[in-house]
Amino acid sequence: MLKEYEKTINHCLKCGACKLAYGPFMPICPSGLKYGFESHYAVGRVEIAKAILDGRLELDVNVMKRIYTCTSCGGCDQQCGPNAGVFPLAVIEALKHEGVEKGLIPPEVRDFLKNITRYGNPYVEKAEDRAKWVGDLEVETYSEQDMLFYVGCVGSYDERGRRMARSVSRLFLKAQVSFGILGDKEICDGNEVKRVGEWGLFKYLAEQNIELFERYGIRKVVTLSPHGFNALKNDYAEFGAKLEVLHYTQLLKELLGTGRIKPKKPIKSRVTYHDPCFLGRHNSEYEAARSVLAAIPDLELVEMEMNQESAFCCGGGGGNFFTDIMGSGPNSPARVRVRQALETGADILAVSCPNCARMLEDAINIEAPEGGMRVMDIAEILELTC
Amino acid sequence: MENKERGLEELKTIVGEDNYSDEKVDLIPYMRDPYSALMGRDIVLPDCVVLPDCAEDVQAIVMLANRYDLPIYPRSFGANLAGCALPYRGGIVIDLKRMNKIHEINADTMTATIEPGVTWGGLGKAAKAKGLDAIQIGGPYCVGPVGNFLFSNITHYATSYSADRVVTLEAVLPNGEIVKTGSQCTKIGAELNPYFRYAYGPDVAGLFRGSMGNYGIITRMVMRLRPLGKIEQAVLYGFNDMESALKTMRNVERLEITRMNVVYNKYMLMHVPLTPEEQRDDGERKRVLESLPPYLMIPGIKGDERLIKLYKEIIGEEVEKEKGYVLDVPDEIREPIIRYCEGGSDVATRIYAPFSGFGVAVGCLPVMNVGKMTQEVIELAKQHDIKHPVSHEFQCPGMAAIPYDRCSTVYVELDVLYDPNEKEEFEKVFGWVREAFKMMVIKYGATHVVGNKTLLDRVCIPAYSKILKGIKSLVDPKGIMMSGGPYTFE
Repeated sequence: MLKEYEKTINHCLKCGACKLAYGPFMPICPSGLKYGFESHYAVGRVEIAKAILDGRLELDVNVMKRIYTCTSCGGCDQQCGPNAGVFPLAVIEALKHEGVEKGLIPPEVRDFLKNITRYGNPYVEKAEDRAKWVGDLEVETYSEQDMLFYVGCVGSYDERGRRMARSVSRLFLKAQVSFGILGDKEICDGNEVKRVGEWGLFKYLAEQNIELFERYGIRKVVTLSPHGFNALKNDYAEFGAKLEVLHYTQLLKELLGTGRIKPKKPIKSRVTYHDPCFLGRHNSEYEAARSVLAAIPDLELVEMEMNQESAFCCGGGGGNFFTDIMGSGPNSPARVRVRQALETGADILAVSCPNCARMLEDAINIEAPEGGMRVMDIAEILELTC
Repeated sequence: MENKERGLEELKTIVGEDNYSDEKVDLIPYMRDPYSALMGRDIVLPDCVVLPDCAEDVQAIVMLANRYDLPIYPRSFGANLAGCALPYRGGIVIDLKRMNKIHEINADTMTATIEPGVTWGGLGKAAKAKGLDAIQIGGPYCVGPVGNFLFSNITHYATSYSADRVVTLEAVLPNGEIVKTGSQCTKIGAELNPYFRYAYGPDVAGLFRGSMGNYGIITRMVMRLRPLGKIEQAVLYGFNDMESALKTMRNVERLEITRMNVVYNKYMLMHVPLTPEEQRDDGERKRVLESLPPYLMIPGIKGDERLIKLYKEIIGEEVEKEKGYVLDVPDEIREPIIRYCEGGSDVATRIYAPFSGFGVAVGCLPVMNVGKMTQEVIELAKQHDIKHPVSHEFQCPGMAAIPYDRCSTVYVELDVLYDPNEKEEFEKVFGWVREAFKMMVIKYGATHVVGNKTLLDRVCIPAYSKILKGIKSLVDPKGIMMSGGPYTFE
């Protein structure tokens, strides 16, 4: 597989543009910033791939640890692709795939994949508990409604993700959106499975989901997570899916535009918005969440220096949300990102991804334990005004 | 060997376990840079890499390297365009990118005090916040001023702001001592006045320029900035022949009204408006090529509206005398070209695309010899059958001519591109680079700032090489810095 990328690998100029965001001129690679060695930047990983192909380096678990600190944020592609002509992320993910194929993956990744295979989710939870987040909300099981609300593993099992799923659902209900959920029938979307290189398992999950969607006649899906959004929108087509896929911020924007949701109460807050990598860089959706925030009376949106294409990753992508290979520390991506947010003087750090919400909330407890800033999802903020 | 291992073990106590690695997977990425393929030598795996974050740590590492006879190879942000920081003999790679603080932007002295990990992009941003700007290089935003100074310090701003923007510096010498240059050489000067290059004798900072790191590791550098104009513009002029373009540049530079200036042939700029993906489409590439004149002169001017109008008129008259003209090209072509010329840009790497392989021959020489020499280098490209990696037709080298000091001399760069996957083409380019460089040096006396082993040993007069190597032996008695490189004694 790696061999297929040999020409791309040889095209790497070694200029290091993949390390630094043009414009803000700040580090863009989360693992590079944390570890510092070239082996943790895209430019170094491409060189590692070259050394493996040339027979100068053998792939082993130790090598793979350098590869798995990549969060698949796409910052390197954004900097390098348009000007130096290489998209390093594909090479890095091919390296991960190579590691999986040869059984040379770190234990954290192995456990993550084992849990998905055995339990259908990384939380080692039961499928019948997937819809527990619904609680007393009148959310229906999918049955010929206009769209499926695909919640995903984090929204179903993580306490922070569940709160987000409830908030989004309350707004949909209020706006009388015709939607349903799959509940205990829902299957992991597999975005992170693909990102850690287990393409076989990803294919299986994609095909299972597609079959399920077809069985229920689902044509339109709105997702809670940008990760699920990315898999369903971009990767499932390869396996025959014909879906219209929206992220919930896109639907909220539409509902505001048509007047089905009307912001009433002013929110006198200074808000900064963190672009999730799988909504922003991977899918070029930067505007929906911002237009929701802009619709709220009195709310002041302030941008972090690194925003939109140059947004710094929270560290929750590429499976790291579950494997935690990057670990903690002052230079962990989430803490770096929270410090960037604190510099704006905002009192709310807005997110639109359950992974980002969890990562940044944990980091804020360390970076600003005395309070002053809280993490809120776009839907949670919008709910305050309706 | 036992001694070496003890030394490496001690290194960990200086930088901490997390900032030290001797694992092959971490070392391999330090064996390649944009020019390593054309170095004509094997790059050796270093013994370890360390990530210091302060001058004190750098000093401790250097002193340890002396005690244990370990070679050291420092690098700043890591985008070395000349293979300067690649190991020759194992040893310690000192990766300085974490030393990236901008200590001061001083609006009064118009200087920035920076560490080696600072990039041109970062410096420009910080300077602009105070109404100033970095005197940028033509290269990409992700390279650093310190590494650039140790290499060549080439800039499109060479006439107005001098080719040399370094004011003073602090360096850890290879013997472990710390030197501060210029007005920093006294204790009180270092505290109160690090802002003047010349003090008490010869120009010590100048010794470091082009030294490729042989004389020490720069841990702090005071850089000249320039005032931003109320309006800043760059204008594109077209010429049908090289002599007219170069003559006009010389005449314009003697008027001392530009902030930067450069002459290109169209082959140098044809890729700048296109993404590498677009460049790989020969039709797209040729579309841009056809929209450009054979030669372009791109002066940058600044001032208020009145001055801009006046400067344009004056430059326009000079252009007209040589039958040049104001170039009318669409914004999609003009805008990226200007961004490239202004320096420190995102599009600078496009000149090496579509496949990133490039060979370059450079030299500084008087303007009257530039045309003839360039023509000969082009002829050499024909002899070597250099083909464009996309069209596979003859590839005319791209040419850039940057005027130094009112065009009294000109920095000329000639580039050809290749696809690193095409070994045969690489060999041709390799041959062309060597012959072109040799011809430029031997026949035209063209010089470049950095010295390589061949030049120092065979081309420079003995007394000159003796001075360079003598200083090296004074500051590096054990020969640990860039050991095996051009300044090595044996």
